[in-house]
Amino acid sequence: MTGAKRHGALGYFIAFFLLTAFVITSSMLLFLNYFARSAGVEFTPENLFTAAVVTFGNAVFLALICTAVDILRRRIMVGRPVRAIVEAARAVTRGDFSARISPKAAVGASDGFQEIIDCFNTMASELSGVETLRTDFIANVSHELKTPLAVMQNYGTMLQSPDLTEEQRVEYAKAVTEQSRRLADLITNILKLNRLENQQIYPESKRYNLGEQLAECLLSFEDTWEKKSIDIETDLEEEVFVESDGELLSLVWNNLFSNALKFTDPGGTVSVTLKTEGDLAAVRVSDTGCGIPPEVGRHIFEKFYQGDTSRATQGNGLGLALVKRVVDIVGGEITVESEAGRGSTFTVKLRRAA
Amino acid sequence: MFQILVVEDERDLNRTVCSFLNNNGYQAEGCLDANEAYEAMYQSTFDLIVSDIMMPGIDGYEFAQTVRSLNEDIPILFMTARDDLASKQRGYRIGIDDYMVKPIDLDELLLRIGALLRRARIAASHKLEIGKLRLDMDQRTAEYDGEEIPLTAREFNILYKLLSYPGKTFTRTQLMDEFWDADTDTAPRAVDVYMTKLRGKCGKCAEFELRTVHGLGYKAVIL
Repeated sequence: MTGAKRHGALGYFIAFFLLTAFVITSSMLLFLNYFARSAGVEFTPENLFTAAVVTFGNAVFLALICTAVDILRRRIMVGRPVRAIVEAARAVTRGDFSARISPKAAVGASDGFQEIIDCFNTMASELSGVETLRTDFIANVSHELKTPLAVMQNYGTMLQSPDLTEEQRVEYAKAVTEQSRRLADLITNILKLNRLENQQIYPESKRYNLGEQLAECLLSFEDTWEKKSIDIETDLEEEVFVESDGELLSLVWNNLFSNALKFTDPGGTVSVTLKTEGDLAAVRVSDTGCGIPPEVGRHIFEKFYQGDTSRATQGNGLGLALVKRVVDIVGGEITVESEAGRGSTFTVKLRRAA
Repeated sequence: MFQILVVEDERDLNRTVCSFLNNNGYQAEGCLDANEAYEAMYQSTFDLIVSDIMMPGIDGYEFAQTVRSLNEDIPILFMTARDDLASKQRGYRIGIDDYMVKPIDLDELLLRIGALLRRARIAASHKLEIGKLRLDMDQRTAEYDGEEIPLTAREFNILYKLLSYPGKTFTRTQLMDEFWDADTDTAPRAVDVYMTKLRGKCGKCAEFELRTVHGLGYKAVIL
């Protein structure tokens, strides 16, 4: 590095020297020629020799000054900002996403450095955002996986105790069943999501009746709404066809329906509508549940994100991530409108088939 | 008592399923692979088979196919970790009757076995009896308390279907697809007309009720 730098300085010096020497020689030749012709003066070789030596010395001196000034200029305008950028980039490489380049590094620097520094800082802050998500994600996954295991372990231990009443035994055994079911659902969802995210998906598109699919999916929740005495309202336009992968989309409907029913209290209403809007088919699933506050709404399609931790036992935070992924794969669009305390409406729009 | 054959290579799961079924009024026999199952079927007759798909040697598909080629009627229920549509399709194409994804809920298994056996009985006898109501598939006749209920062929078929699957809701389109010609222009709402007629004709029957489910479809509920 320093070797290259020294070599650079020598190169600059030679360049400046050649340039100065060329300029001086050319000017002197022109001047002397003109002067000798008009004044009729003859130069002796001695005169010429002394003049040549002095001029050479001048050229060397001028070139030295130029090189010094140039090195100084480069240090300020290029070297300093480059060093700052290199240091920050190394820090990011080491995994320190909090590294930023001070805007002072760009003071007096050449054009363009300011832009590079701004870009770098934006990149670093995005990276640290991703990093936070990643660590949160891992924390959430391990929490979701370990909680049911811990509960099962505890109840298993308690079940080994010899003096349990029949009631306690049944209660503990039920808890173990309940938790293992929760873990099973979670693992099923993780595997599904993994398959959707990591494999190239080739959706098997077929033209089918969307209203019929919605009706059939909804009917599979009949037991749930009867148990919770939730009122169901449907308004499904007939003969609405889409050309899409029915199995993938049924994941979307099942998750939206099960969420709507999960978050609606007994006596509430869940409504499902299907309407055509131009060449789009719009499916709306509304509930009169607890709603989603806006700051939560931004994140609900993220994996393991759960708005309300007190409801965490009812789901695993993967449903909507799955929904979003499927909607993306089939080229649709999903939006959510919600008001805390009044309920939410999820809208999925798909291109209609002729 | 119904005899059930459980074919599952995972020993613990096999044991729990068998003892659960034994505790719930069935007589279950567990086999760890298909060859053992063939042996058991040679020794005694079974009313229903619960089988895994992924097993060493002969897998569930091949096993079900062999059983189906020998016995067209015995209900087969697959109990497997595979949850993709392709596996389900392959199973149903071979002729299995039901499919459950592991981990299975034992209570649900019980419900499904009950329904399968009930339908197998209806399918075998071509007769359905609920209290004082008797439906005869061969004659296409319906009787209530010895008195004939005049039904058209389509009305009879719809009623027979709904009563074969009590509690299950069928959408209008599902009923249309099954009981109307494919090229019919009739709108799915035509089903409503038939349901109204059926309700009128079965008004006397106190044993069941034909219910509309939120504009989605219809189901028969046994009271």
